[in-house]
Amino acid sequence: MNSDPGSPGTNAAGNGNSGAAPTRSEFRRAPREIGAEIALLWWSFFDWLAVVSWKKLLLVSFLTLVIAAILKHPDPFILLIVASFIIKAVAGGKRKADLTASEATKRAETEQLERTVLEARMEALQAQIEPHFLFNTLASIDQLIQTDPPRASRMQQSLIRYLRSAMPQMREGSRPTLGQQVNLCSAFLEIMAIRMEERMQAVVNVPEGLKSAVFPSMMLQTLVENAIKHGLEPKTEGGRLEIGAEIVDGQLAVHVLDTGVGFTPKGGGGVGLANVRERLQALYKDRAELIISVPPTGGTCATIKVPYEIAPA
Amino acid sequence: MPPSPAPTAVVADDERLMRDQIIGRLKQAWPELVIVGEASNGREAVALAQSLEPDIVFLDISMPGMDGIEAAQALAGRAHVVFITAHDEYAISAFEQGAVDYLLKPAEPERVALTCERLRERLKQKPDPMQDLLSKLSQRIGAGDLKPREYLRWVQASLGANIRMIPTSDILFFRAEDKYTRVQTPRFEALIRKPIKELIDELDPKEFWQIHRATVVRVDAVEQVSRNLRGHQVVHVKGSEEKLEVSRTFNHLFKQM
Repeated sequence: MNSDPGSPGTNAAGNGNSGAAPTRSEFRRAPREIGAEIALLWWSFFDWLAVVSWKKLLLVSFLTLVIAAILKHPDPFILLIVASFIIKAVAGGKRKADLTASEATKRAETEQLERTVLEARMEALQAQIEPHFLFNTLASIDQLIQTDPPRASRMQQSLIRYLRSAMPQMREGSRPTLGQQVNLCSAFLEIMAIRMEERMQAVVNVPEGLKSAVFPSMMLQTLVENAIKHGLEPKTEGGRLEIGAEIVDGQLAVHVLDTGVGFTPKGGGGVGLANVRERLQALYKDRAELIISVPPTGGTCATIKVPYEIAPA
Repeated sequence: MPPSPAPTAVVADDERLMRDQIIGRLKQAWPELVIVGEASNGREAVALAQSLEPDIVFLDISMPGMDGIEAAQALAGRAHVVFITAHDEYAISAFEQGAVDYLLKPAEPERVALTCERLRERLKQKPDPMQDLLSKLSQRIGAGDLKPREYLRWVQASLGANIRMIPTSDILFFRAEDKYTRVQTPRFEALIRKPIKELIDELDPKEFWQIHRATVVRVDAVEQVSRNLRGHQVVHVKGSEEKLEVSRTFNHLFKQM
């Protein structure tokens, strides 16, 4: 209609009409909107009544009475005050409980969400395989194929075993045992022993009897990889790595000790350990812990303590 | 034209298998090249290069002690450098702009042959000191001096006869006590020798707040702040019964929103 190049008069009249039309419907809509506004106001007043303390309500009532006395029309105010007291006495408790309940639901939902996010992040971290490790190992296999084929084959098998363990997998039903975790670590250690030669001596000192104990997945691997990457690899002359397990005060304590360069308090290697700590907290709350200590001989000792449980067969 | 002496090289990699591999492939691609020395870390590589004065040094980037970049900096202008790396995308993009060559592990024979060809050309010139490239590389790899400031993430403390590394995220607060500083966690308390005054400079100011001359608290551990009878603010910490007084100087930290 505006694009109509007709007489400006008609156009102006048309504009006038279209301007007036909404005004009429606004009038029709207005009472509904005012009603909604009042209802909203009423409910926020109701909510306030429900949660406010009696002491405060009395104080506000007193102030209202003072204003009423000044205005010299106390009746409606007194009515309002009496109504407030009755509402608070009758419905206040229920409304208050409703509010608390809805708040609790909201909190529970946030917590659930946080847990899901945490789990997703854990899986992503589990699947993280160092490209540096992978390419170096493949290059070593490439070299061994020419010089020592049987050794190349063994190293490749260890790599396959390691990769399988590092992939996130659905472990339905059965819970991971310490024995499984130690086996997966030994695949990694076999690879590193070939690559680092005399610079790394690994000892696994886990009693047969403890291998059936429940132990969370991928944690021992993190400790072993850290010990090599941050402890032994940066040390020119290399050193020793030991995996050990024992029962201390009814808890299963599994440690990875290295004689490497030792821990740097600023940065470095924190992500893997923080992840282990987070997972322990999620799985066991306060019944498990990760302890990093400095042995008198130097290097680093990382210990994971979890409740001692035998995995159901 | 006098017969030029045979070109010489030193190969440095911390893994023997990798040294064998690169030497084997160099022999195939460039039979005249004489490998005069092998090194298993950066320091050895620099020492060998200084005493043997090879024309070329092959340097693995990640080596213990002194890494390949640092070794190349130490050797600047003395020899032609070829870097060897298993995986480092940042470094590779930097090499491509520079006058230096690199080999990816496992080095394919064809790629080694190409590197040798380039080196034969380059040997006619003096080695490039590569200053710009190396400083760029060391920044990318994280050895440069442009690193953001690092704060303590672990505190080394004694717990009885043992020395523990306590993650800062586990610490509720630090408190000055006589000659020591007490480190409080939900599970135990440990002692360190470093006074609060020095400690506060090493802690991340986003993670820890000083609330008193003698007290530093981890912000996330604060449960609530109340006032005691003397009108001082008092901090309550999750996981500890202890109440920590806030001195007037630090009152502003807990100002109401």
